Amino acid sequence: MSDVQKKKFVVTRFDPDKDEVPKTQEYTIPVRPDWKVLDALNYIKDEVDGTISHRWSCRMAVCGSCGMLVNGEPKLTCSTPLDEYGDEVHVAPLSNFPVIRDLVVDLEGFLDKFKSVKPWIVRAKEKAVEEGPCRQTPEELHAFKQFSMCINCMLCYAACPVVANVPEFLGPAAIALGHRYNLDSRDEGAAERNEVFRGEGTVYECSYANECSEVCPKNVDPAAAINQAKLLAVLDWMKSFVTPRRGGE
Amino acid sequence: MSRPVNPRAMAPARAGRTRTAAPSVPDRFWSAPRMRRYLLFDATGITYLLVGLSILRVVWALGSGPEAWQTVLRQFRSPAYLAFHALVLLSVVYVGVRFFGLFPKAQPPKIGPASPPPGPVLTAMLYAAWAGATLVLVLVLGGVLP
Repeated sequence: MSDVQKKKFVVTRFDPDKDEVPKTQEYTIPVRPDWKVLDALNYIKDEVDGTISHRWSCRMAVCGSCGMLVNGEPKLTCSTPLDEYGDEVHVAPLSNFPVIRDLVVDLEGFLDKFKSVKPWIVRAKEKAVEEGPCRQTPEELHAFKQFSMCINCMLCYAACPVVANVPEFLGPAAIALGHRYNLDSRDEGAAERNEVFRGEGTVYECSYANECSEVCPKNVDPAAAINQAKLLAVLDWMKSFVTPRRGGE
Repeated sequence: MSRPVNPRAMAPARAGRTRTAAPSVPDRFWSAPRMRRYLLFDATGITYLLVGLSILRVVWALGSGPEAWQTVLRQFRSPAYLAFHALVLLSVVYVGVRFFGLFPKAQPPKIGPASPPPGPVLTAMLYAAWAGATLVLVLVLGGVLP
């Protein structure tokens, strides 16, 4: 390893069998200028301390596994250059999530919220195969494409001040994905999703802090989705007084 | 190191099999520039609370006779009150600018068959409405308009 520099990593550790609360552990390791934060964590895991636990997979900002707090900021560690930081780098699990072990957070709460917004295409009646595919114009695709870029990395949940204080809040990624399907011309489930948006964990909990959009590594702009969803959920509610729902509701 | 948030934040509907550490945020979560901007926005609420209280005081003075009314007017001319109102003006401008910046992207791509105007046009319309309302207010207060 030519061009060797050393950095100190202060890593949050938590062993559910031993620790009451998380603590920190320091590692000073040689690093290379082209490393990302994840490279350093993998070096620690491989060469220094095999007991450290962290999630990662694709190493190219697609899988959304390696979200962590780097010096207090929610970051995808695989795409965060190490040379942006000084001689000491703090790595911690994502804020606002229960911690399973070290840098690994519990995502079950998110998955519960995620499922509740039905993030799939809902059709009143499936088309027969002979009828061909559901076609979509480029304009119709453009209406939701930005929101379909979410990789579920959870950085938005770690940045959101409402998630920290209102446990029922559906949160940025789940609402953005629900809204994405509401805008999809092939979908017919907007009324069902809007009922979820207006129910417990309502979209109206969002105070438009815009933190989620500022930390999003894929420029999904969940804050835009949430605030668009607010307006459309109200319009849908008003429309329900004049237009009968499916099934005579 | 870190401070606790709501202990039920992002908790699963059914408790998992392993014990977990409670959710938290970094101790200095407020030190990130983006968070400072948001906290400053939140803090402007304090000035609106104080404006509300001072309006109540004006209403109370109106019902308490000419002497109380003159006292309020005298107090409103004091440097402390003028400084407070300058702070309120700054708060309103900050909230307005922030809101006008965020407003366009909160518009759905379509409402029924209609699409909203492009973002820059919407922002320009908001600033024009603000300038127009301010002008009308200045003309009314200046006695030009009845």
